[in-house]
Amino acid sequence: MLKIDNLHATVDGKAILKGISLELNPGEIHAIMGPNGSGKSTLSYVLAGRPGYEVTEGSVTFEGEDLLALEPHERAARGLFLGFQYPVEIPGVSNVQFLRTALNAQRRARGEAELSAGEFLRIAREQAAALGFDMDMMKRGVNVGFSGGEKKRNEMVQMGIIDPRLAVLDETDSGLDIDALRVVGTGINRIMRRPDKAVLLITHYQRLLDLVEPDFVHVLAGGRIVRSGGPELAHALEREGYGALTETAA
Amino acid sequence: MKSLVLPSNRTEGWRWSDLSRLPEFAESEPTRIAPEVLPWLDIPGPRLLFVDGRLDHSRSDPGPVEIGDVDGEAIDHPLARHAGRHGWKLILGPDHATADPVQIVHATTGAADHLAAEILLGSGAQASILETFVGAGWANRATSIRLAKGARLMLNRRALGDTGFISLTDQAAVGEGASFVSVCLAAGGRDTRLDAAITLTGTEAYAEAGGALLARGRQRHDINLVLRHDQPAGMSRQLWRSVADDMSACSVAARVEVARDAQKTDGEQSLKGILLSRGATINAKPELEIFADDVKCAHGATVGELDRNALFYLESRGISPDDATALLTRAFVADALDRIGEEAVRAAFYDDGEAWFGGRE
Repeated sequence: MLKIDNLHATVDGKAILKGISLELNPGEIHAIMGPNGSGKSTLSYVLAGRPGYEVTEGSVTFEGEDLLALEPHERAARGLFLGFQYPVEIPGVSNVQFLRTALNAQRRARGEAELSAGEFLRIAREQAAALGFDMDMMKRGVNVGFSGGEKKRNEMVQMGIIDPRLAVLDETDSGLDIDALRVVGTGINRIMRRPDKAVLLITHYQRLLDLVEPDFVHVLAGGRIVRSGGPELAHALEREGYGALTETAA
Repeated sequence: MKSLVLPSNRTEGWRWSDLSRLPEFAESEPTRIAPEVLPWLDIPGPRLLFVDGRLDHSRSDPGPVEIGDVDGEAIDHPLARHAGRHGWKLILGPDHATADPVQIVHATTGAADHLAAEILLGSGAQASILETFVGAGWANRATSIRLAKGARLMLNRRALGDTGFISLTDQAAVGEGASFVSVCLAAGGRDTRLDAAITLTGTEAYAEAGGALLARGRQRHDINLVLRHDQPAGMSRQLWRSVADDMSACSVAARVEVARDAQKTDGEQSLKGILLSRGATINAKPELEIFADDVKCAHGATVGELDRNALFYLESRGISPDDATALLTRAFVADALDRIGEEAVRAAFYDDGEAWFGGRE
């Protein structure tokens, strides 16, 4: 589904990703762990096409198509979703308006019929309820005045409404308390744990992986994947820390 | 009409307006054919259609609005001077009110037209007026406003149309406890120039002057406001949102004057602009002149580009760069249009804004 091959990328002329290769097949959940500054967020931004993140070498294909040749909104329409580590506040644009515009833009791009206001609201209500997200908050400005946890929950509501094929979730667990973490974890499983979907889960901690069990775990350090393994690798990291593992790999 | 003497753009107050086409309009012959479909709001109430400054009786229902010579002092202003003394008048006695907004459409058909207006509201009277400018050419207006004790006036203007110039000169006196709220939207292809001198002549009076200016191409929108507090405990608000694309320019010069006796004045100015292209210009010029010592005057002016993080966030959800820009710009402009009290009027202003964004290349 997603094939990353020898990916190199720079930010402000500084090399951050130094040759990442990774393949995600449908039905798989991959976790990427790694110390601060290892390039985890950069990888997520490069995949989503954020301006300022320049690919200098390598390739990324999504469903056989050159992902890097597409604009960010085109990537979204193909089925890519980025869960932001720091969701952006947009005063004056309501969540409902934002998501309906987004969903219908994607549907248009795929040649599907647009949803009426009523149809959209039904989906929005369903997804908000499933994530314990108040419908009043759906009517408020996007993320305006939301707590850190509410913003992350809103990312999951958006993911539920947009229903992507591939989700790249950048530290969706950071800033969440135990209860919110459970809600978000359950949400990821419910929305994305499907035979035709895949997830790239970027996280620092084991605790999200207890809820969303990955099929593969990769350790990113210094812009490269230094270790790959099964779920047991995450447990080893939790016990021994990144230091030991990244050193033995190097 | 007197011979056309126009201010030079070397004068400070006229630096940003482009008056160069006005002589050409003044010499042109109008076609006098107004469009079949006019931007009336589908609400009850009086309607007046002026075609090239003349009332079209067959398509009007003036209600309490009279046509004739306006009284009162002439407005001393280089463009208002040309507007003459003939026009429309809305004079309401004490405690009278217009149940529905008075809609006035000004259709200009390729030449220049001039019209005066007078709005006199007796104590406790209330009125709401919506003026819409369409067509091509130069529409020049001079409006005198006097609000007696406790009167309330809502005056909303839409500058639409294809090409040309719209100049509006307002002079308003707001009496004790009276309220004057005006919102202006420039969302067409014509240049606009608004000069307003609003004076709070009674205690505890309230005045609000604001709007949204949308400009593209080589368009110019130029607002020059003076809001004067003559008496104590008045409140004033000026909220302007400018959006400039291509090589266009929006200028807002807004001054608050507080006289020595006008203690407990509460004034606020917010002048913000968004540049959609590198060649565009926005001038925000807030000015305060305060002679009283116990006053609260806040002012803010910002000019910038759209938030890149917000743009990327929208795009990452599938919204195209153009649509994302429009969505964020609309939200920015909404601040100014949300000041309009009547829902139908506010909705119409939103639609005009939408149409403008829809026409963005």
